[in-house]
Amino acid sequence: MNHLPQAWGRPRDDVYGAYDSSYLQNGGPTQHTQRPIVTGTSVVALKFKDGVVIAADNLASYGSLARFTDVKRLRKFAETSVVGFGGDVSDMQYLDRLLNSLDIQEAYGSSGHTLNAQNLHTYLSKVLYKRRSDFNPLWNQLLVAGLDGESKPFLAAADLLGTTFSSPSLATGYGAHLAQPLLRNVAPDEEAASKLSLEQALEAVKESMKVLFYRDARSMDKYSIAVITKDGIDLKENEQLEKQSWAFADQIRGYGTQVN
Amino acid sequence: MTSIGTGYDLSNSVFSPDGRNFQVEYAVKAVENGGTSIGIRCKDGVVLAVEKVISSKLLKAGANKRIATVDRHIGAVSSGLVPDGRHFVSHARDEAANWRSVYKTPITVKDLASRMGGYLQAYTLYSSVRPFGITAIVGGWDSELELPVDGQVGSGPISGAGGKVEGKTYGGPGLYMIEPSGMYWGYYGAATGKGRQTAKAELEKLDLAAGKLSLEDGVKEAARIIYVAHADNKDKEFELEMTWISNLDGPTKGRHEEVPKDILEEAERLAKKHLEGEEDDEETKDDDKDKMEE
Amino acid sequence: MSAMFSQNPLMNGPNYSFNQAPATASGGNTEHSFYPYTDNGGSTLAISGNDFTIIAGDTRSTSGYSINSRYSPKVFKIGGTTSSQDDANLVLSVVGFAADGEALKERLDAIVKMYRYQHGKPMSVKACAQRLSTILYGKRFFPYYVTAILGGLDEEGKGAVYSYDPVGSYEREQCRAAGAAASLIMPFLDNQVNFKNQYIPGSGEGHALQERENIPLPKDEVEDLVKDAFDSAVERHIEVGDGLQMLIITKAGIEEKYLPLKKD
Repeated sequence: MNHLPQAWGRPRDDVYGAYDSSYLQNGGPTQHTQRPIVTGTSVVALKFKDGVVIAADNLASYGSLARFTDVKRLRKFAETSVVGFGGDVSDMQYLDRLLNSLDIQEAYGSSGHTLNAQNLHTYLSKVLYKRRSDFNPLWNQLLVAGLDGESKPFLAAADLLGTTFSSPSLATGYGAHLAQPLLRNVAPDEEAASKLSLEQALEAVKESMKVLFYRDARSMDKYSIAVITKDGIDLKENEQLEKQSWAFADQIRGYGTQVN
Repeated sequence: MTSIGTGYDLSNSVFSPDGRNFQVEYAVKAVENGGTSIGIRCKDGVVLAVEKVISSKLLKAGANKRIATVDRHIGAVSSGLVPDGRHFVSHARDEAANWRSVYKTPITVKDLASRMGGYLQAYTLYSSVRPFGITAIVGGWDSELELPVDGQVGSGPISGAGGKVEGKTYGGPGLYMIEPSGMYWGYYGAATGKGRQTAKAELEKLDLAAGKLSLEDGVKEAARIIYVAHADNKDKEFELEMTWISNLDGPTKGRHEEVPKDILEEAERLAKKHLEGEEDDEETKDDDKDKMEE
Repeated sequence: MSAMFSQNPLMNGPNYSFNQAPATASGGNTEHSFYPYTDNGGSTLAISGNDFTIIAGDTRSTSGYSINSRYSPKVFKIGGTTSSQDDANLVLSVVGFAADGEALKERLDAIVKMYRYQHGKPMSVKACAQRLSTILYGKRFFPYYVTAILGGLDEEGKGAVYSYDPVGSYEREQCRAAGAAASLIMPFLDNQVNFKNQYIPGSGEGHALQERENIPLPKDEVEDLVKDAFDSAVERHIEVGDGLQMLIITKAGIEEKYLPLKKD
């Protein structure tokens, strides 16, 4: 019999067979994220005269299940910028913690200078590109809203591949198909956006959220909306979609009781 | 010094027959020569202040900070060997960041003091290292609100398990002083460095235990105490550096920040006026007392 | 990794970025997995002249049928000493996967800057061209999915255009079109820049027919060619449009021009 310490308390090999330790080894190559699990849907944003309006609903879906209904997908950074996250929620939380530690490190210096939205967007897109290049992506589409180095409105997108672009209006996911055309109606170019008032921008974004709720099955009517100007961030996290009309519903043919 | 020639002072981690670790005591000597640092725990915040003796006229005024931000809500200052202070801060930042990554919540001042106490104590145990030549004062404000976990989504349960306990208060000011031995205590007012005796005497007069001193007044007191403590060391010029952490409703919103220039200057003005008043006091003792009335 | 190349739009299927067929596992089930590339559409074009080089690109960025942005430049000044790149002497265009394009641009820019500081002179186009090839080949087994074109003036002051494939194969050319509408623009360029299929009327029959003499084109004519090329590409390719960005390199420096293109 084996009296060595590593055998103490173990079932006897001659009676029970050798211990099957195969589960301890993770065979094969390292596994990385292959798909998002708990997800957030669209984020929409629009530049206006003095800043940016950005919105996203408060839902996190687990496949087609509306799993979490109180999820804040707009995240503040240093009271100067807002990042709106679409895609995987756990990756969003990771990035949020990353930004939090970045903010703390910024505070170490006494100058008080914090990164502006443009800097933040560059940082995030490099993180995302690095992770996609390691075949270990952070599964998000995100919009960064705030002001640039010259205190002009700034809005840009970055995604899990590290692709980046900027435009007077932006929308991720379904929003790119449903909301972006509406936003481009009010702000076809930078010049038009620079003439929009806050009220006009808010109205366009809220209307977009409504359209998305009508047509995106992974959306909900509770949402967060933020306005970023040089005076700071006005973030509301428990907004309710209002004045919806379902009058169009009985006009829709092809499903339900009216087949033709 | 009784230790000299006995041989018990030559190596760290060696006790003398009467139970002393001389290397630690020498480290304390290094602290006693450093510029005075103080911390005041007020009812709505904490003030940290340090007397920076100007070692060269070529140094840029206002540069070369001595009080550091450890985490958003915590600051640290030390007297003694400045590089040791820097290493202390560097490790404290690591501890604070590590705490966040493990517990998803900011470290409390108490926990940070505990971690740093443990760290300094370890430097008294081995012959290959020497103790820290600093005494550090760590101050901060633990949020009175239940802070969202970093990256938290949603607001959690409203009642039941995980719900809020009614009437229970959280957080508040924290002030700790950590010595080269690793010993640390929590204080209402802490002072270390060259002028610590004078500073402690002044701090005791404030009756901080009553918890009535406001942060605003604390700043003024801190400036005054540094000026008073410096009075014994008058021949050298110095610069006052001051930071504070208020509660969430206060001027810094729970963050550790430098005291704004205007408030600092006002506090210094009052401190100087106070000192002049004291000097006049001494002079007027034998002169006519009418002058005092002015 | 082989799946990566089967998705090369030039090799199969239409030239759209959404042509990302999910990899199929052996069981016939669709296997969802991470594919690290996408195509952001757009086209670039470079033509060198006797004493100038023009590099141009449209400014549309796409994902499938969607337009990401109407202004997302693909042509960059490289190796200047300021953030505005005013003193740059080289131009790089990248088209394909925009994130790789951005990464490649940043990397080349840093290298050319370092060359300038270490050698006390700007990098020549020839040296930069070789260096760019090395960078691209360095990622031979995980390529930058971009078609790059490098432009500048050579040691004699003549216009120089170097074109690349994604893994660093390169040559100096008179002109080159790249990207989504490359197959539309390149034949036009062959005909209009190198006078391919242009013969001197009545010069003979069959093989005796004489080709039109190749002469370098003046700058304003080349500019017009570029505009025409893009206007035509916009008509026939959905991923090209919005704006035309042109960088014109002469010994006087780099001039930038922006012209609107159709936004449909």
